[in-house]
Amino acid sequence: MQNRRDFLNMLCRGTLLTGLAATTGVLVFRSVKDGHCTLGSSCNNCKKSDSCNLPEAALFRQTVWQLDPTKCIQCGRCAENCVMTPSAVKATHVYAMCGYCDLCGGYLKPDTKTISTAAENQLCPTSAIKRKFVEDPFYQYTIDEPLCIGCAKCVKGCGAFGNGSLQLQVRHDRCVNCNECAIARNCPADAFSRVPANKPYLLQGIETKPDEKG
Amino acid sequence: MKQKIIIISALALLLALVAFMVKDFFFSKPENTNPYEFGLRQVRTGDTATAAFAETKQIRTTLEEIHGLATNPSGNIYVSGKGGVEIFNPSGNPQAKFKIDGSAQCIALDETGLIYLGMEDHIEIWNKEGKQLAKWNSCGADAVLTSIAVRGNDVFVADAGQKVVYRFNKTGGLINKIGMKDPATGVPGFIVPSPYFDLGISRDGNLWVVNPGRHSFEKYNFDGKLLSKWGKASMAMDGFCGCCNPSNFALFQDSLFVTSEKAIERVKIYNADGTFRCVVAYPSQFEEGTKGLDLAVDKQNRILVLDPVKKLIRIFELKNK
Repeated sequence: MQNRRDFLNMLCRGTLLTGLAATTGVLVFRSVKDGHCTLGSSCNNCKKSDSCNLPEAALFRQTVWQLDPTKCIQCGRCAENCVMTPSAVKATHVYAMCGYCDLCGGYLKPDTKTISTAAENQLCPTSAIKRKFVEDPFYQYTIDEPLCIGCAKCVKGCGAFGNGSLQLQVRHDRCVNCNECAIARNCPADAFSRVPANKPYLLQGIETKPDEKG
Repeated sequence: MKQKIIIISALALLLALVAFMVKDFFFSKPENTNPYEFGLRQVRTGDTATAAFAETKQIRTTLEEIHGLATNPSGNIYVSGKGGVEIFNPSGNPQAKFKIDGSAQCIALDETGLIYLGMEDHIEIWNKEGKQLAKWNSCGADAVLTSIAVRGNDVFVADAGQKVVYRFNKTGGLINKIGMKDPATGVPGFIVPSPYFDLGISRDGNLWVVNPGRHSFEKYNFDGKLLSKWGKASMAMDGFCGCCNPSNFALFQDSLFVTSEKAIERVKIYNADGTFRCVVAYPSQFEEGTKGLDLAVDKQNRILVLDPVKKLIRIFELKNK
C-alpha cells in the first residue's frame, strides 16, 4: 500500500528517467548514424562535413550566410561580431548603380571642406576606398577588400547622398560559414539569412534575367 | 571589538562587490553604440533663429502624393500630384480640385491660366475647371519629365530620363533640344543621376537649367546656346551637396535663385552671380530623407516650399522686410 507521497515520488522519478532515456537515445542514434561526429556546433572545420548525413551538415553544404542590403541598417556590428578578423563582411560596389560622383557621399566625410583624397577627408576609417579620375566630372571608386572591415560607413554615406551603390555583403572567399553566424545572432535588423550556395550574393540593383526572378 | 568592526566592514565590502558583479553580469545591457556611426548631425544643424526667413503658414494638401508646385500672377497656388491637381487662394483656402489619370510630376501655368502638367513621359494641358484640352505625344519610353516652364509660345520641358531639355511650341511641336553634350560649343551635357532636374525662365528671357551632377546652374538662350554657368559642389552651406543637387529652384525678385536640396534638406538663396546669400530653411525643419522640395515664389515675394513627406505647402517670409 503506497501513500500519496510515495506515488508522487515515483511519478517524478519515472518522468525524469524517461526524459533522460529519450535524450540519450536521440544523441546515441545521431552519433551512430554519423559514425564519428562529436556533436560539436560547427561544421566548418569538420573533415567529414561533405559526407555527413546530419541535417546541420546538409544545410551547411547547401546554403551560406548572406545579408540582405534592403534590410541592413548599417549599425556597424558586422565589423565587430564576425569570428574573422577583419570581418568577412565587406563593402561591395554595384557599378551599374553608381553615379561616379565627384562629391561622393560614400568616400568623403559629410563635413569635408575640400574634395580631395586627403586622409582627413576620407569617410572610411581604414582608407579602403580608392578614388580614380575617369573623365570630367566622373570618378571611379573601388574597394580594397583586405583593408575593408565591413563597418558600413560608406554604405550609409552612399545611401544618404547617392544611389546606394555601395552595399555590404558576406564575402565567401573569407566567410567560414559557421553553423550559427555570430553576426546574424547580433544583427538588430534580422538582415542575415542562409541563401542557396549557388546564388550566394544578394546585391541590389543588378539586373537579373527573367528566368532568375523569384 | 576592533576586530569585529573590521570583519563586518570587510563583509559589507565583499557583499557590495558581489552585488555589483551580479548586477553587471546579469542586468547591464550590452552597449548598442556604433563606433563607426555615420553622423549627419554636424551638417543637419542650423538655428532657425539665424535664418533670414521665417515659416509663416502651412497649407495642407489632400492629394495622395504631391510633386509639383506653381503660382499664378494673382497669387493662387497650384499643386499637382498623384491623381489630381489642387488650387488654393493666397490665404491657403481651397479653390478647386480636379482629378487626372496618373501622376503629374511637374506643373506650370501660361499667361492665359492654362495648366501644363508633366506626366511621366508626356505633357497634358488642362484648364482650371478640370477639363483636359490637349495631350501631347510621348517624349519616349525612357522619358521622365520633371519640370516645365512656359514663356510666350515656347514650352520648355526637362527630361531627366534622357538628360535633355525640349523646346516645344504650344501645340506640342518640337522646336529644338537644349543641353546635349557638344564640346565644340562648350555645352557640357546634363548629368542627372536621380529624377530631379529643374528649369526656369528668368525675366530677361533666358533659360536656366540645373545640371545636378555638376552641382551647377547653366544659362541658355532659347536656341540652346550656353551663355554662362555657376555652382559649387560642397557639403558646406555655400555649395550644393551630395551626388546631384540642387533638386529644385525658383527665381526670386528678378535675379535671385531660391534653391532646395535633397540628402541635406535645406532651402537657400543665391545672388545672380552665384554667391551664397542667405538661408530660408535649415535641414532641421524637414523630415530626414525628404526629397523633391519643389519651390515657387508668389506675387508677395513669399517663398513656397512643397513638402511631399508632410504633404504641406510651407510658406516662408522674409523676417525683416
